[in-house]
Amino acid sequence: MSEPILQFEHVSKSFFGAMALTDITLAVRPGMVLGLVGENGAGKSTLMNILGGVIASDEGQIRLEGRPYSTGSPAEATRAGIAFIHQELNLFSHLSILDNLFIDGFPRIGRTPLIHRREAVRRAKEALAAVNLSISPRTRVDRLTPGQKQLVEIAKALHGGAQIIIFDEPTTSLTSRETERLFALIERLRREGRTILYISHVLADVLRLADEIAVLRDGKVVRTGPKAEFDINAMIAAMVGRQVDQLHPIRRGKPADKVLMSVAGVTEPGIVKDISFDLHEGEILGLFGLMGSGRTELGRILFGLDPFRSGTIDMCGQPRRRRTARRSIAAGMAFVTEDRREEGLLMEAPVTENMALVALPNCRRNRVPGTLDRLALRRSVDEMIASLKIKCVSPRTAAVKSLSGGNQQKTVIGKWLLGRPMVCILDEPTRGIDVGARYEVYSIINDLADRGNGLLCISSELEELMGICDSLLVMSKGRICGRFRRDEFDKERILAAAFEGHLERGPRGSSGASN
Amino acid sequence: MDRPSGDRPVQSSGNVTSQTRIARLKEVVIGRALLSDSFVLYLSVAYFVVLWVFLPRLGSARNLSNLSSNIWPLLVLVIGQMFVLIVGGIDLSQTSIMAITSVCGALMITSGLDPELFAANPLWGVFVGEQGGPAGGSVAAAPVGIAFMLAIGTLIGSANGLAVARLKMPPFMVTLVSMFFFSGLAICITRSENVRNLPDAFLAIGQNYLGRVPTARGSVGLVPYSFFAALALAVAAWFVLARTILGRWLYAVGMNRRAATVSGVPTDRVIVWAYAVSGFCAALGSVLYSSRLGAGRPTLGENVLLDIIGAAVIGGISLFGGKGKVRWAFYGVLFFVLLDSSLYMLNLKFYTVNIVKGVVILVAALLDVLRNRIRLGWAPTGRAVTA
Amino acid sequence: MNMGKLLLIVALLGAFGVVVGGVSCSRRGSGEDQLTICFGFQDLETEFWVAGHKAITETLRAKGIRVLERNANQDANRQLEQIRDAIAQEVNGIIIIPQDGESAVTIVGEANRAGIPIAVFNRPPSDRSNPALVIVADNEKIADEAVAYMAKVAREKGKGRKWKPLIVVGDLGDRNAVARRKGFFNVMERNPDLFETPIEVPSKWDPATTLANLEAALQANPDVDFLFTSSDFLYPQIKAVLEPLGKWKKIDEPGHVILGGLDGDSTAYTLMKEGYVDATGVQDLFFEANTIMEALLTAIEVGQKTPENWMEDPGFALTQENMAERADEMWGYRVLHDE
Repeated sequence: MSEPILQFEHVSKSFFGAMALTDITLAVRPGMVLGLVGENGAGKSTLMNILGGVIASDEGQIRLEGRPYSTGSPAEATRAGIAFIHQELNLFSHLSILDNLFIDGFPRIGRTPLIHRREAVRRAKEALAAVNLSISPRTRVDRLTPGQKQLVEIAKALHGGAQIIIFDEPTTSLTSRETERLFALIERLRREGRTILYISHVLADVLRLADEIAVLRDGKVVRTGPKAEFDINAMIAAMVGRQVDQLHPIRRGKPADKVLMSVAGVTEPGIVKDISFDLHEGEILGLFGLMGSGRTELGRILFGLDPFRSGTIDMCGQPRRRRTARRSIAAGMAFVTEDRREEGLLMEAPVTENMALVALPNCRRNRVPGTLDRLALRRSVDEMIASLKIKCVSPRTAAVKSLSGGNQQKTVIGKWLLGRPMVCILDEPTRGIDVGARYEVYSIINDLADRGNGLLCISSELEELMGICDSLLVMSKGRICGRFRRDEFDKERILAAAFEGHLERGPRGSSGASN
Repeated sequence: MDRPSGDRPVQSSGNVTSQTRIARLKEVVIGRALLSDSFVLYLSVAYFVVLWVFLPRLGSARNLSNLSSNIWPLLVLVIGQMFVLIVGGIDLSQTSIMAITSVCGALMITSGLDPELFAANPLWGVFVGEQGGPAGGSVAAAPVGIAFMLAIGTLIGSANGLAVARLKMPPFMVTLVSMFFFSGLAICITRSENVRNLPDAFLAIGQNYLGRVPTARGSVGLVPYSFFAALALAVAAWFVLARTILGRWLYAVGMNRRAATVSGVPTDRVIVWAYAVSGFCAALGSVLYSSRLGAGRPTLGENVLLDIIGAAVIGGISLFGGKGKVRWAFYGVLFFVLLDSSLYMLNLKFYTVNIVKGVVILVAALLDVLRNRIRLGWAPTGRAVTA
Repeated sequence: MNMGKLLLIVALLGAFGVVVGGVSCSRRGSGEDQLTICFGFQDLETEFWVAGHKAITETLRAKGIRVLERNANQDANRQLEQIRDAIAQEVNGIIIIPQDGESAVTIVGEANRAGIPIAVFNRPPSDRSNPALVIVADNEKIADEAVAYMAKVAREKGKGRKWKPLIVVGDLGDRNAVARRKGFFNVMERNPDLFETPIEVPSKWDPATTLANLEAALQANPDVDFLFTSSDFLYPQIKAVLEPLGKWKKIDEPGHVILGGLDGDSTAYTLMKEGYVDATGVQDLFFEANTIMEALLTAIEVGQKTPENWMEDPGFALTQENMAERADEMWGYRVLHDE
């Protein structure tokens, strides 16, 4: 057995006091495929980001071919022969393949600043041939299929002389045929002696490709070993591990029988299919799914931000047809977006202005049409700031972007609560906020349910949903693949349902078109 | 999912020596003036006072009267532009709206057209004739004409807004097209002739003053009628921006259109409103300028556009949307007009005037960048408290 | 860290103030009871305006008169504001080249109210309601004369065939451009048997626009053989379009396009001498400048506050026929031979 090419030694990392990685020790030998699995938030991405030089570790070190390797920047990682094929591909879609391959250094004519065009084309053809992509290097990247783009990215990595290649969920947007092609390529790279780190939720794929498998949970390596020691159930068991602990407030209330929102047969081709469920008064309904399962898209459809082809969405027995965000709000809905920066907040505006936005039409002064009862508005905003315990020195003047993630999120929630909604859709309500603030957000959700609101919590973190929800819907590939009441909550079964669409893939034939 | 913490304060403000404390104090004092809402006003007053020492005529009754009659029409236009800038757009078509409303209004109320000049006009014999326009010679000519002009301006503005909001076209393109189209149309329907013989009541708006002050060479007007028009508009604009729901919506749309949509703001309608206001203000400006020059004019305002945007930006209204106040618009216009007038007073060579003007505007713009820097530079202090 | 930049900018502002103040002081020092005349004009787009501007400012300065120059950049409103500023500075007299006739009326009115004599150069006020000294060329008549000569040549040469005429029109916001176009069309109407419908090419008084529009027009109508330009300063563009088409020919050569223009600048003179251009309408620039200055200075001297006098520059058409005897009356000829 050869010496490990890559070693993590006691690597730790924390964000805002929350441990993301604890004492990670791993060794990878050259010419090996290491499968890395774990739930969302288990620390896979953090670990890879440290290796790729995107962020720095707090403790521990990484050795590359036995020598200590300090991760300074992505550029440094590239020079050290580490390439990162991201979930979101990092190509300039308006440029040609050629430009993308050489963006950080075109071949030149002698020492002049002129580009040696012919040489570049020759080398680009070589690089593309290495990944079995027979396409002109002058093709613009946005004309390529996702699979082809990925191959270009791999070609770029190989061209840069990468020895260690990290794949992060590489198959999410690929057809079966493209996936097959990718796997053949990975197989070849391995035979050439390159080292592959393969991260995926598709456990069957991991089982098929990897020589060794490492399971991460809560920032720790819980199990490693050769592939032979694992099967899919073993991996899930290792990923889920411990019991849900007291990260969540105790749920006292019980859902009533009255249906607030009733969804029946909602379908939008390619996005969601035949979604039906009821949301009751005082109910916290969780919606779980892997990335790309359609969970966020469903939330947007329900709130009226995106269209749907068929099906009905009733609010309090009223069918709702022509749907916009505005009408949804009038019908008593609220939508806490997963994307605070782009859709949730006016980043330059102070807290008060952000909070007032939804409730403005409720604060009309009757005497002069269209004018604002500023006193009433200010009073209710102040009350909301106090009741949500938003910490901000000057809520009237300081831009909301200067607040911490938790306070930003509470501002978004407060904004919606001022509109007095009946149904709240919360998409990733705790994304990017620390543990303490999480608990507060859970408490707010809990209180709302106790006051009779219906809440739909969309999340990619299963523990969170199991901690706060009365019942749970599991989505996979745009469908609901499982429904669980609180007393039926079982991590393994839920995860199995979430992976359902992915497991089905099984042995691949030429069924690419069916996706 | 965990995210790298890009926004954590990098430097700690731990050891503050007394020296840096004094430097910081100075920074605070100068910074206070720089950051003040009324910074441009201070700048204008300081500029005026300094130059007054050298140029006593700058403060003469006649010059002050000139200044005031130059400020108000421009202010009307800048207020309109501000609404569009607040929602993150830009209205290049204001000048062409001025031109088209000027000739349409004038054709409506003129009391006589020279057949030699206008017989080739496409409207001749249908809408206008030798005896003037449809409302020509009537007692109510002036109010009818003004209402007509304002209606046209608002209509064109709304059309711009609809194109921007509904068709999701870039504002620059939309208003550029309508700039070409309507200035072309204005020239087309008049065959490039100016429309004269406007009623006295109409001319009074731009030319007359309330009260006169005698000077050595004839008397000088005290308060131009255009002041009242601008004042009424400014108060209305302030009210809309500061006191109504629409006002809040305007700022919200300008700061983050997507977030506003998600929050139930009728984004499209708000954008249409902003452009409609801009069109209305352009038409009002057109009333003031047309009556001041005594004719409906197809080339009216051809060169005002950059003055409008220049004054708005100097006043501190952001080209990126979400920021703007009526007060700022006034300060910007004040500074701009003062600058213009003072440069003439200095009797600089005509070809150096524009260079000097450019330099002064550059300095003003630099100061604005600096103000923003300081504002951002101070943000971490606020963050440290809240994080 | 911001201190340095702050101080730099404050210092810059201060320095600017001092310079400005210094300049103004030094200017004020140069004699209080000196005669001051404000000369307001539009952009000096063409040789005609440049020469006119030069003639007026140099003559006045030679007489020891202070001249305040004001360029309104083709904006009537700005010109009004500039003249008001000048009035506030208590100038003794005003000469303007107005943007158009209507704004001239308003501006003259301002000067009248302040009791300052005002003279209008080349572009007349659109009516005589406010008294002013005015010098104006009869553009319609001059254009008519020049085009009439071109038509005569066409009739002789064409022997009964019809001609395809083209006119490069000026900015129709300018009264002179309108008049010149009208002069051209008068001739067209008098000779319906000689001409097909004329093609109009807008120039906006802008060389680049002219080049583009003319190129397009000749693409569409390659058979144009009669061309009149509303201003002589566009000849370089006309040559640039005609030459590659094999249409830039001397008068006796086959394929010659009958050419004519208006203004009488040095280019036109040269082209006539070389035999490319058939006729050009000439306004007598120096006559106009001298007449108007004399009239204004006289009015100031005798203390007239609102003098009125409309003076006319008859102008004439310089043709290949009369070139020998009248070329030296053309200002373009004189500009050329003075240097």
